[in-house]
Amino acid sequence: MQLTIDMLADLSAGAAFLATGGGGDPHLTYLSACEGLKAYGPATMIAPQDLDDDALVVALGAVGAPTTSLELLPSIDESIEVLSAYKKLTGRKVDAVVSFEIGGGNSLIPIVAAAANNIPVIDGDGMGRALPEATMMTYAIAGIQPTPAVALDYAGNTQLIEAETTEAYEQIIREFSMQRGGMALSAEFQMTGRQMKECIVPNTVSLSIELGKILRSRQGTADQLAEQIASVFEPSIYGEFRQLFTGIVSDMSTSVVGGYDVGRATIAPLIEGTPSLIIDIKNEYLTAKLDGRLLASVPDLICILDSETAEPINAERLRYGQRVSVFAVGCPDHYRSEQALKVVSPRSFGFDFDYTPIEDIPAN
Amino acid sequence: MRIGIDVGGTHTDIVLLEGDDVLIAHKSLTTADVTTGVKNVLAHVRDNGVEMHEVDAVMIGTTQFTNAVIERRELSTVAAIRLGLPSGRGMPPKLGWPSEISAALGSTDFMLHGGYLYDGKKLSDIDDAEIDKVIADLKSKDIQSVAITSAFSPMNSDPENYVAQRISAEVPNIALTLSHRIGRVGLLERENAALLNAALLSFADRVVNAFAEAVAEFGLSCPVFISQNDGTLMESQFVREFPALTFSSGPTNSLRGAARLTGFDEAIVVDIGGTTSDIGVLRGGFPRESNMVVEVGGVRTNFRMPDVQAIGLGGGSLVEDDGKSIGPKSVGHNLVRDGLVFGGNMLTATDIVVAAGLAEVGDKSKVTELPQSTIENGLSTIRQILEDGIRMMKPNSDPLPVILVGGGAILAPKEMAHVSEIHAPTNSGVANAIGAAIALIGGEAERFIDYSNTPRQDALSEVKSAAESVAVSAGADPGKLRTIDIEETAIPYMDEGATRVRVKVVGDVAKLASGREVN
Repeated sequence: MQLTIDMLADLSAGAAFLATGGGGDPHLTYLSACEGLKAYGPATMIAPQDLDDDALVVALGAVGAPTTSLELLPSIDESIEVLSAYKKLTGRKVDAVVSFEIGGGNSLIPIVAAAANNIPVIDGDGMGRALPEATMMTYAIAGIQPTPAVALDYAGNTQLIEAETTEAYEQIIREFSMQRGGMALSAEFQMTGRQMKECIVPNTVSLSIELGKILRSRQGTADQLAEQIASVFEPSIYGEFRQLFTGIVSDMSTSVVGGYDVGRATIAPLIEGTPSLIIDIKNEYLTAKLDGRLLASVPDLICILDSETAEPINAERLRYGQRVSVFAVGCPDHYRSEQALKVVSPRSFGFDFDYTPIEDIPAN
Repeated sequence: MRIGIDVGGTHTDIVLLEGDDVLIAHKSLTTADVTTGVKNVLAHVRDNGVEMHEVDAVMIGTTQFTNAVIERRELSTVAAIRLGLPSGRGMPPKLGWPSEISAALGSTDFMLHGGYLYDGKKLSDIDDAEIDKVIADLKSKDIQSVAITSAFSPMNSDPENYVAQRISAEVPNIALTLSHRIGRVGLLERENAALLNAALLSFADRVVNAFAEAVAEFGLSCPVFISQNDGTLMESQFVREFPALTFSSGPTNSLRGAARLTGFDEAIVVDIGGTTSDIGVLRGGFPRESNMVVEVGGVRTNFRMPDVQAIGLGGGSLVEDDGKSIGPKSVGHNLVRDGLVFGGNMLTATDIVVAAGLAEVGDKSKVTELPQSTIENGLSTIRQILEDGIRMMKPNSDPLPVILVGGGAILAPKEMAHVSEIHAPTNSGVANAIGAAIALIGGEAERFIDYSNTPRQDALSEVKSAAESVAVSAGADPGKLRTIDIEETAIPYMDEGATRVRVKVVGDVAKLASGREVN
């Protein structure tokens, strides 16, 4: 399948939905990817099973605090530069690239590198959503080593990273990013085709394009589109889809702490006198509670859309007075194993409760 | 007494208000030079025996600047200067703009080194040699207006100020818009806002001169305000520097005027014109605001604006397919020439309601031949289009009152689904002018506060009271202040918890009759 410029807007909208509030402002990465494909032509995308078992694939993406990218603009060649630096500094060959995170701008970053190097980009990613740390990738959970990895800053400075553990790698790349303007590109988690097929969340790029088409159709409000959105998720690896709440953002606070945007949003109901929805945020929307009752939590997906336009709203764009619709989607099975829940359960984000799969939480 | 004037694309309206009472309301055509139209409506007020020196304030709302951007006219060429390299390589200014408007501003774009990072470190050093080249180029190209944007300028505006000083020193007659004075965090949107503002500066001079000339000719010595998109007032001199802050003051005034005319604070306002109907929502007497990113003429900006949806139904909308299809094509302001009831040969939405006996406009005898099926289908299509539009904008499933304003209000049926009651207030045709006349005084305060020392709620109250005293000293009624915006931006290079807090409040003009609190 050829990925052309005209598909990027749908991909970007779908990816913004799957970003669950994180992933940065997709508009900037979108503009940059459009300029990239204008310069290098379309990219070829293949399904995970179509890559040779012995081929070598590397994951590309950006690491950092999303708020900073509102001012520190991406450059169109940065994914190409990080891939070149990776090949040069590690001496390894690369047959294909893949996204490590479908949620937000990271879904688009490997595409320009694929187009410019005439190698395929894989239809899938290492999260099926957006999450803040490398240890949370399905690649890491399956035991793939993140290093050797290469980091690149906005000015073209590079660093080769070798780390003993994914935790150590995470600290090093995060530190590099925070020291270098808050955003860095990375090439990491090299794996064989065989390894990739076992741990990738498959077909998320094509699912995003399909989802984005619905969100951008302008056929109705977010609530009116819910049924169509459900029809994308229900037959997929995600499964459960729920409409949680519609209301108005009545309080919102974020700050950058240790490299992450943290905060809490209060969404007031449309009917006065009923309880407000509380969303806790650490880069992404992590939990949704109504009157103290949990409606959904990480690793299941919590997504906030502008009620009128059905446009997904990132945490850093969520503001006082906005009218929003909140949805939840069940996470892929990759995140439901005991091994996975050690790193992506509510407890691993500092909450004092265990994960309850969304389908086990009574609907309203 | 105060005068509200609305200068729209087609009509220039005036109202004279004493407290809440509308003493005079008058509509006239907008003239090409704008001034004549304003003088015409002021003459109407004077000729009604009003002592002009007794007027305490003139408030003007104008869509001139929005229309200029949408219609791509009156725009100067602008040089865009961005300081942010080496970030954003290959991402020049005006990226993603519709081609006609980017062509109107020209292609003189400079990407220079400079700007800051989130942590207060320099993104890169400013390069004076690069600025020398920019200055030489500006001189050679005879460019009148420049927009300067640097990375993280809302937190540190030094690079923008430095480049502005260097340009002013060497190219003295060039107009400058500095992005940190007009927009917020979000570099591309702030840069876009600054570029549109810069393109409108010379037009702003002409518009403000025209207003001043008209007002002076009628012996009005009171302050003249121009309404901004958030429903607050700015002194007319300020508009010469920041015309873009008037964007969408038209819909804001229309919505606020409708609230004042009916006394409804929670309602849907449908402003039916010649070509479109604009649907907005009143919440607590103020327009519901749209999302952060708002397009003006297809350009993304980060102004706060009312959430108004335009649908393709107006008095001049063309009727096709035996009434089963109406609009979005329209004869627009040529309705009075081309509509059947006006002796023309185009079947319009207005002709349908006249033929049905629901309105008396033009010559009814011209539509007596219209088939009954066309009339019935037409009425049902009009109703369907309006009901769909209202349903899209409604905040919830509870029925809400609808307030009809605008010249095309005769199209609306007496009953609609999702609607509790329909009001078409007297003077609804001049709702915009009334909205301008009752516009508010704003007050804004900004503080750097460490949340680890001051609890957040206390900090917010502190900044809010500071904003309130600014508004009160600018003439707002202390009893009727309302917070319209709270913005918190973390300042990470300071201690954790350090946050820039910005609060904006608005209030009604206090004791307007004395005229002295307004300045």
